[in-house]
Amino acid sequence: MSTTTHAPAGPHDSQGPARPPAGDPADPQWAWVAYEPDDARPWNLALAGHLYRRAAFGADWAQLQRALADGPRRAVERLLEPETEVAAFDRRHDELEESANADALRAWWLRRMVQTPHPLQEKMTLFWHGHFGATAARVNYAPLMRGHVQLLRQHALGSYPPLLEAVSRDPAMLVSVGAAENRKMVPNDHYARELLARFSLGSGNFMEEDVEEAARAFTGWRVLRNRLRYFPGDHDGDVKRILGREGNFDGDDVVEIVLQQPATPRLLVRKLYRWLVSETDEPSDALLAPLAESFAADYDVARLVRTILRSNLFFSPRAYRQRIKSPVEFALGIVRGLEALAPTEKLAGDLAAMGQNLYHPPTVKGWKGGRFWLNQATLVGRSNLAAEMLLGAKPYADKLDPSAVAKKHGHAAPQAAARFLVDLFLQGDLDEGVADRLFEGAAAGEGGPAERLRRFAHAVVTLPEFQLA
Amino acid sequence: MASTRREFLKASLGAAGLVSFGPAGPWLRRSAAAATGRSPARNTVLVVVQLSGGNDGLNTVIPYNDATYAKSRPTLRMTPDEVHKIDSELGFHPRMQAFLRLYRDGLLSIVQGVGYPNNNRDHDGAMRDWHTARPGEAACQTGWLGRTIDALFRPDDGNVPGVFVGPIAQPFGLHAERAIVPTVRSLHQWRLQATSGPAAGAHRARLVEAAELDRPSDPSPLLKSARQTTLAAYAGSEQIEAVVRGGPSLQAAGYPDSLLGRDLHTVAQLIRADVGIRVYFTELGGGGIGGLDNHANQRGNHGAVLHQLAEAVAAFSDDLVREKLADRVLLMTFSEFGRTVAENGRRGTGHGAAAPMFLAGGKVQSGLIGAHPSLADQDQGALKFHTDFRRVYATVLDRWLGLDSQAILGDKYEPVDVLRV
Repeated sequence: MSTTTHAPAGPHDSQGPARPPAGDPADPQWAWVAYEPDDARPWNLALAGHLYRRAAFGADWAQLQRALADGPRRAVERLLEPETEVAAFDRRHDELEESANADALRAWWLRRMVQTPHPLQEKMTLFWHGHFGATAARVNYAPLMRGHVQLLRQHALGSYPPLLEAVSRDPAMLVSVGAAENRKMVPNDHYARELLARFSLGSGNFMEEDVEEAARAFTGWRVLRNRLRYFPGDHDGDVKRILGREGNFDGDDVVEIVLQQPATPRLLVRKLYRWLVSETDEPSDALLAPLAESFAADYDVARLVRTILRSNLFFSPRAYRQRIKSPVEFALGIVRGLEALAPTEKLAGDLAAMGQNLYHPPTVKGWKGGRFWLNQATLVGRSNLAAEMLLGAKPYADKLDPSAVAKKHGHAAPQAAARFLVDLFLQGDLDEGVADRLFEGAAAGEGGPAERLRRFAHAVVTLPEFQLA
Repeated sequence: MASTRREFLKASLGAAGLVSFGPAGPWLRRSAAAATGRSPARNTVLVVVQLSGGNDGLNTVIPYNDATYAKSRPTLRMTPDEVHKIDSELGFHPRMQAFLRLYRDGLLSIVQGVGYPNNNRDHDGAMRDWHTARPGEAACQTGWLGRTIDALFRPDDGNVPGVFVGPIAQPFGLHAERAIVPTVRSLHQWRLQATSGPAAGAHRARLVEAAELDRPSDPSPLLKSARQTTLAAYAGSEQIEAVVRGGPSLQAAGYPDSLLGRDLHTVAQLIRADVGIRVYFTELGGGGIGGLDNHANQRGNHGAVLHQLAEAVAAFSDDLVREKLADRVLLMTFSEFGRTVAENGRRGTGHGAAAPMFLAGGKVQSGLIGAHPSLADQDQGALKFHTDFRRVYATVLDRWLGLDSQAILGDKYEPVDVLRV
């Protein structure tokens, strides 16, 4: 069953002009209440696609149809707690990654993203990877970076305090920020600075003195031969004054102190808003306050993510198509949509050329993302990657087969197959005029129906619309 | 050059062409205007050539009459009749006749004695210092040109402010926080690929049209931004392809068939394609502990590298002059350190300090900038610097690229009088 293309004034519009949402997305009382479909805002294919773009890496047709049948509550639950055995999958992949070098690690992660029964976990692992910004470029020892990302995965949908504690003791993190050595006689403030500025309170919410004092608290730790070692003789055990507290704190104490500051949950909530909801607006503190207050109670990431993904705001026009797909989302959206595999080592390199080198965030601030993904070179890169995937020969295109997928879901005839692809990749989010021209083009050109459908698929995924998440 | 991007695309995509455009959106007219109405400050181009390994400046710009020079370099010294004389004291290395020609034509400037206080004499550390312009800041996360590119990138346009052209890993000097900096191995990668054969042109035309058409039902600013960048990308790709198709080959354009020759030829093509790139980074020596690191038997190898440098840069300069682009382009060489004054026992030299930087282009203050460091007053066996390299960077950022050097370098540096702007 495919919907016809329509004028996409918004996600709830399946026929006719847009109807305004039931509440004001800027109203914190309405925004975070769970979305319940009604006549004004029905649950539909567009919203199912939106959910899978944000909470996963896109979806195949069966997943979209099942989400459609499930409704928003069950669809979100499935993504948070998949029915399939995830632990076994993760364990197997951990083993496979065992002897990988940095390049192979990228490839293995992409493979996880494609095949995992728990894509939301991988999406959140990617979030934390950008949040902490540790990079293989500085760490120079693959097992450390492997351990780092596995740590992030372990806590991806867990609780922030144990994650932050573990990262504060992670040799990959310390080496990455240049804090491999921190001694009483020569305090090193690099980790303390990032901890306060980026992993907890955020800029403007602490003083330079807090950084210096926190650096003293972390003294005694040194990364030697890729292991973190503690040297009591190098630890500054004297009293420190940090953020209004006083005591002979150590690193763990500092982590506890920063977690108690209300600015910390606010920073994390704001970052998650950008990751899951929208890159185009700067939400007010008032809008985020209910989330921040709730998150501050227990720092339960899964609960926060669930609230966001179930919310009225998430399923409103304020969030819909308001992000730019990262290179990973762009490529995997095609691969997952076509129920395919991809040669992940090559893909990892291609994605790196487009600015997303997994395991190598550009700085400790992570990837800027949003419109920064798109420039006049990376867009040609996206088109060429898609061409390799859909039009060329090996190593990509013998694994992706639009005609086979269309036929599998009941659309063998060329025009029907073309309409199916627009529903699969865009859920019909395409101006009628543009769609009509594309359909006309689909019937023309050289080669048989399969070749023409491949070119059509390429035309669809190179549309500006497809770049929007 | 067609007057609007749309006409340009229409003309160049062949028979299949572009059937119906719908009403031209305002963005098209804006971007066409932007293409033709750029002010000089936003039109200039910087081409950086990294010499990897520590170039022996003392045997590049040679004080051929200096007694200490002769005494310190029994096997490596160049004699007065071997060098290409600049004046009564200095001359170019025997294999750099092309640089003498540029110099005499007023297109080459030599900034002497460039370095920085307590310079790092270790390859990685020193190169990092030149890349970050923050010596001693081991945790610096970006390169000075990466910061430059971040300052030049406009999300609305999706412009590409800078690229690396070359076969090695992208040097850290270009490492940016936000913008994505492409590595150009060949201009082929900038071509919009599709199936080969007659279907390709028609398909490409369809891609362009699909992005061109108005979306009256979807006013989303993010979509508009994505469309704008997509169309600029397609247009840029066509412009590059047109230059490659229509322009002379490497040899016909007078370039040597060396790595640097090919890279500078690529740079020249991208400049001619006029896609808005302001910063180009190229490299000679292979990166890492590079080809200029001659601890033994320096003579032949150094001569070969300098010859490659001089020939490639001269060909590049000649090409730009022919294309009337020389006034818009400034080429700058740098290396992570100079070498020791005295040769070691193995007919080579050790890691040193000060060395000259070359600047080439139509707007350089041609000549020698600053005095040659005295061989009688050395810095631990090397030449003493008098001009901090960050002053040269600052000059280029402020006066050539029209940016705020203090914001990019982190401090204010006194300019060097190397430009006629």
